[in-house]
Amino acid sequence: MREAKRFAVWFALLAIVVIAGDRIGAFLCSRVLLGSQFRFSRVYRGGSNAEVLVIGDSRGVHSFYAPAIEQLTGRPALNLSFNSMSMPIAEALLADYLDHNPKPRMVLIETTCVVVDRGLVSELRTYAGLSKRLEALYAREHPHAAAAGRLFRLLPYDSEFFLRALMYLRRSDQDWINRNVIAPQLAAGPRGRWSPRPHPENLESLGRLVPMLQSRGIEVQLLIAPYHRSVMVDMNEIIQSVKRSVPGAHVLNYADAIEDSRYFADGVHMNADGSEAFLRMLCRDGVLRCRS
Amino acid sequence: MLFNSFAFLIFLPLFMIGYWSTRGRARLWVMFLASLVFYAWWDWRFLFLLLFSALVDYSLGLLLENEQDDPARHRLIVLSVVVNLGLLGFFKYFNFFADSAAQLSDALGLHVTWTTLRIVLPVGISFYVFKTMSYTIDVYRRTQRAEHDLLRFATFVVFFPELVAGPIVRASRLLPQLHRDHRFDYERALSGLTLICAGYVRKVVVADSLAPLVDVRFAHPEAHSALSLLIGVYFYAFQIYCDFSGYSSIAIGIARILGFDFGINFDRPYFSRSFSEFWTRWHISLSSWLRDYLYIPLGGNRGGTLFTFRNLMITMLLGGLWHGARWTFVAWGGLHGLYLVSQRLIGPAYQRVVKSLRVPRAASNAFLILLVFHLTCFAWVFFRAQSFQNAWQILTSIASMQDISFASVDNKILVLKGAMLIAGLLFVEVLTLRPREISPARRLAFAASCIWILLLFGSFSGNTFIYFQF
Repeated sequence: MREAKRFAVWFALLAIVVIAGDRIGAFLCSRVLLGSQFRFSRVYRGGSNAEVLVIGDSRGVHSFYAPAIEQLTGRPALNLSFNSMSMPIAEALLADYLDHNPKPRMVLIETTCVVVDRGLVSELRTYAGLSKRLEALYAREHPHAAAAGRLFRLLPYDSEFFLRALMYLRRSDQDWINRNVIAPQLAAGPRGRWSPRPHPENLESLGRLVPMLQSRGIEVQLLIAPYHRSVMVDMNEIIQSVKRSVPGAHVLNYADAIEDSRYFADGVHMNADGSEAFLRMLCRDGVLRCRS
Repeated sequence: MLFNSFAFLIFLPLFMIGYWSTRGRARLWVMFLASLVFYAWWDWRFLFLLLFSALVDYSLGLLLENEQDDPARHRLIVLSVVVNLGLLGFFKYFNFFADSAAQLSDALGLHVTWTTLRIVLPVGISFYVFKTMSYTIDVYRRTQRAEHDLLRFATFVVFFPELVAGPIVRASRLLPQLHRDHRFDYERALSGLTLICAGYVRKVVVADSLAPLVDVRFAHPEAHSALSLLIGVYFYAFQIYCDFSGYSSIAIGIARILGFDFGINFDRPYFSRSFSEFWTRWHISLSSWLRDYLYIPLGGNRGGTLFTFRNLMITMLLGGLWHGARWTFVAWGGLHGLYLVSQRLIGPAYQRVVKSLRVPRAASNAFLILLVFHLTCFAWVFFRAQSFQNAWQILTSIASMQDISFASVDNKILVLKGAMLIAGLLFVEVLTLRPREISPARRLAFAASCIWILLLFGSFSGNTFIYFQF
């Protein structure tokens, strides 16, 4: 009995130490998170002076290289795109951005993210403490994990977002872009026709997002960035669905605009050179107002 | 039930309360029934198979002990081996042999139709069959007394910490411990809890963080560069190590809290300087089982060099097949057999060269550790690959050395996280090379650190343990 009591005391001490360390650790992590140069941390820290905002999934990341936009337009740019970002997350992020920062002049939306499912929602736990909108999205999909995160405060920092926040503690994450060129076997790969289907939830979200931005006097451009010619994508369904969801919307379709394989990292993502070539096209077409 | 499931977090404290509030046969009943619940959580229908296996070997054990006539005893032990291997053969290898026979007959132009069945592999069958079979063999050899109490014997067979994925705790170790009523011991409880925490970190933090990075590389090797695939192979070496050693650590820790001693199952295998050393550090309960019940009965190293090589190859090939019904597992075992044979052939010459060149011992050891690790990784490719074609694709891509820049590696952040976790693991393994007394305060700090690491780096997607499939 005496042994069991000693163990109970030890176990109680362990519980106290764990909870205390959890709270202290979570506080330190939150400071690190807000101090980071990672794109989402910049949303919640405030003070961004970006005039051009970009949002989308991984195609948004690798099609709109923010340093190139700044160089071409002479205006500060911030790319908020992230791999597997669905439209409800984009909507919440942009709404939060406008809550914490001066409004931008223009928002570029890589529209193919309307086909993305909810994969990224599980990562939102890291910023859920800073945003009621993200917290609601996360708790809806992962109610048990959200509850566990309220008990153990370190849990929300167990994510790729936090690792990225650590990685970009001292430097901007806006140089994140593919540098490699598509492998010859992939470039010469079989050409399968692909008709991506938008998720209704994404379309509803886009239908709310665009009018909200426009009502604040922000110019919105809906774009489809280039695909490699080995990926034959039929964009018709996306374009028609977006037009139905966002009355008056015009989707600028550049899916087939670039032929050269050197501009692609794989079938669906461009590389830094490809992004620059694409941005020059946008300048040429007057989508971006560039310096001569 | 998985150790890393929410159900187990409820099950374990309830079991502990039941266990420590009972004594004698009541405690045996608690252990027996709780173990059945633990197993039935996966599929209750296979409880009958488990209990059948226990009943057969219990009966044969008693018959073997009472029988004095040697030919009759021989028949009994043959019956035990046939029943046990028959169960294993049917549930695990029937389709494998049927498919292989069909392929062979096709190759010979015979085109015979072989029937395959939709058979579910009972979880843990490879482990409990080996456990019960070794019991009857020990009774036959008269190195183990038969257990007369059916409840105690059944508890020995179904005891949940080691039921589904080992370690294979033999009757000679576990049965005597089941005859004692263990009292709660503060030091043992702390040390058990420490092992459990370390096991969870290995599984949930290291193994499960590496798993998705490994899976994607082995599933689509054509989409990855040489460096990316090489990283995938290294990561798999640590994934399987942390997955299985993590499970063993949790099992041994739970048993220690209950007052049982299971021994150790892993002892820093990637610091081995030879393959014979590797097999005294990796899955120790299986390698010692194969040594005692296969290699030595085959003749061991008692019949000359070629005879020894033959025995090594047979043991390792069957050891490979034990892991799963696939020729790639056999190839993995065969490679380890070749490593052991080669070591016996080259080892003495290597030692002479090292001596004549006066190579410092530390440098020689470092070279040997790296060599053994890389050859082990080479064999892991066959172990993990779904087919020889898959393994060949990975190995040729790595050998081509095309695109070995870090820029070509996908998921760099997660790869860096994986590398840091492995570095941390190796650092802890080096730190704990010398066993020493650990104070309760240090154990508390260690357990708390493990829990914080779990919270901050754990993967809570409920991945199953790799060795469940074996």
